[in-house]
Amino acid sequence: MSTSKSNEDIWLCLHFPDLPVEVFSRQSKTQQTPVVVTQRQRVAFMNPSARNIGILAGSSMNTALTINQQVVSFERNDQKELEKLEQLAQWAYQFTPCVTIKPPSSLILDVSGCMKLFKGLGNLKASIGSGLEKLGFRVSMGINRTPLSALLFAEAGMPDNLGEAKESLGSVPIHHLRIDDNIKDALHSMGISSCKQLLQLPVDGLNRRYGVFFTDYLSRLTGEKPDPQKFISDRPRFRSDVTFMSDVTNLESLVFPMKRLLGELQAFLTGRQLQVNQFSFKLSHRSHQPKTFTVFLANPDNDQPMFLMLSQLQLEKINDLPEVDNLALAANHFFKAESDSGDLFHGTRFMQKDGKVHRKAEQAKATRLINMMTARLGPQSCFGLSAANDHRPELAWKPMRIATKPSKSMEPEHLEPNVRPLFLLPDPKQLSSANRHPTLSGKLELLQGPERIDFGWWDDNPVARDYYIARHSSGSVYWIFLNLKNDTWYLHGIFS
Amino acid sequence: MSMSDLNHLMQSTGLWRASSIDSQYLEACPTGFELLDRELPGSGWPASGITELLQKQAGIGELRILTPALAHLSHSQTRWILFVSPPYIPYAPALAQAGIDLGRVLICQPKSAKDYLWVIENALSSQSCSAVIAWPAGILEKQIRRLQVAAKTGNCLGVLFRPDSVSVNASPAELRIRLRTHEHSKDNSAMVAKVIKRFGRWESSDILLHFDDELHRPMPDFSELLLQPYQARDFEAIKHTRTIQPAEHPPTAYEYQ
Repeated sequence: MSTSKSNEDIWLCLHFPDLPVEVFSRQSKTQQTPVVVTQRQRVAFMNPSARNIGILAGSSMNTALTINQQVVSFERNDQKELEKLEQLAQWAYQFTPCVTIKPPSSLILDVSGCMKLFKGLGNLKASIGSGLEKLGFRVSMGINRTPLSALLFAEAGMPDNLGEAKESLGSVPIHHLRIDDNIKDALHSMGISSCKQLLQLPVDGLNRRYGVFFTDYLSRLTGEKPDPQKFISDRPRFRSDVTFMSDVTNLESLVFPMKRLLGELQAFLTGRQLQVNQFSFKLSHRSHQPKTFTVFLANPDNDQPMFLMLSQLQLEKINDLPEVDNLALAANHFFKAESDSGDLFHGTRFMQKDGKVHRKAEQAKATRLINMMTARLGPQSCFGLSAANDHRPELAWKPMRIATKPSKSMEPEHLEPNVRPLFLLPDPKQLSSANRHPTLSGKLELLQGPERIDFGWWDDNPVARDYYIARHSSGSVYWIFLNLKNDTWYLHGIFS
Repeated sequence: MSMSDLNHLMQSTGLWRASSIDSQYLEACPTGFELLDRELPGSGWPASGITELLQKQAGIGELRILTPALAHLSHSQTRWILFVSPPYIPYAPALAQAGIDLGRVLICQPKSAKDYLWVIENALSSQSCSAVIAWPAGILEKQIRRLQVAAKTGNCLGVLFRPDSVSVNASPAELRIRLRTHEHSKDNSAMVAKVIKRFGRWESSDILLHFDDELHRPMPDFSELLLQPYQARDFEAIKHTRTIQPAEHPPTAYEYQ
């Protein structure tokens, strides 16, 4: 919560006049399809290309289709607009933590605290403007000393004002005010058309005539009364989607919208100094079951080109989806980003002896390889090895999930004192025997042994075996055992 | 052409001469076998390039000639040692015995042949593997060429185990060695290697490699024990007995004699 009492406050309002259209089709230079959004069977909003061919707000859909056959129409969706506005508020969080959502189509930002960071209002406006342009949103910005006056300026398209709020409002026509239409009519009939005239009237009289809410609005507008704002909480949750005008049948053409969504994800993460280790794409179509795939990363990261590459690897595997009309990206699990400050003395003779910076780059490469392999082959296909403390040979090792290795070296707690083969068969293979001697399509000559392993009789998997090292007539050396329980020979390892 | 012309040509144009391959300038990883090192350019496995090891059958010690180098790499570098679809599980206790740091070992098991080559190539070129070891079955010459380029890019030791029958075919690999068992060594304490392709020199003669490891520790011969069947204990009975009777101590070798 904050008050707008101080004269140092600067409020920036972002007004999205085309938001109802932009939730369906965002602007881009290549986007030529005229798109309109209808409300009660009438065209209410349209994109620039629809405006250019002469479609007017308020005309019927038939009129619009007569002007151009290509016009695509959507029914207005308030819910979607609010969601999009919330996403934009989360996006704006990268500039200031004080962001308020003003439905239906505006955001109000308290930017007084971030003037120094962005080196002035001009730079801040430029970076917000270019960011929104990249996302494909048309925005109108208003700057004033109070939240409501900034909103008014943005909606009315007035120039920035950093003087007194009350004086700046003078020339604004009253029909821009967010007040009841009846009051507007009444004021007009009194001959009042600008805010200057309105604000000269005595407050008591206005209060009696139009009610306390109206005067309260006016005093908050001018900054006479504090106007506390409810800022969004930083809820780390990312959702964004792209709707396609026509069905996409070639999945490869999804790469470009995918890149755009991942770019938004990256901006979201950068703004909050976060990283993700998994995100999912949802490919849907109105007449099919949606298809979802999740990209897992070995380590949390924030790297759009890598995200895109991994998503592409997964996308290539999808082959049972005939068409797509909506692509959505979601990320829910976030990690604090590690600070990535470089070594001050990197590249100089004062460089740290352990070469930390270098190692970090090396680790990034290792992580990238693991990410690529798990994305293409599945998470189960790659694993590390570790020794386990068990005398049963098949239990003396275990596969290990790969996490942040190879960062630290792993020394086994104890080394097996007896000879072990470099290859172990996953399941021992039964050997035939002649005269109690093992054979494997040829004679096996025992070189060493026995090494008795009689272990685990207290659990469900007891073994009683005599292990021998045997040489086959072809020259290979095997690790074989005689199972003492059923007196049968098995091949268990190869001295490769 | 007079001698002075020739000298001039040598000095001014940087003319390449086969004899000038200076083994010191090739980055290599020592094999751990002095006799083999002596025969290899750079005195070791090429640290960036493909090495082919050709063998008639598995189990002749082909992996053992790599372990000293892998142990060295696992301790001197923080990069991975990747086994791509090994025919059996590389056995962790044995790798640890050989001095390989298990924390650096990675195993990848791609399912399809297409993924298989993809993994090898990407791992080689990723710069995050110090060694990639693979057992490609039917790999083509042009594919090996790609892998060779990838290994150069990633500064990685790539080892391909291939059947001995391909030794007559040409291969773009940097180093090719044929391995076979030594006829006179009964216990496989030795193996014969023959370098059939290397930089700057012809084929080598047979090199006898002696393994000096635990496998060849002399042991008393207990094989006559085999002729006496094992008297199986009743495991179920033991499991349910609270107090272990002296008679039920695990039998020792002594009892069998």
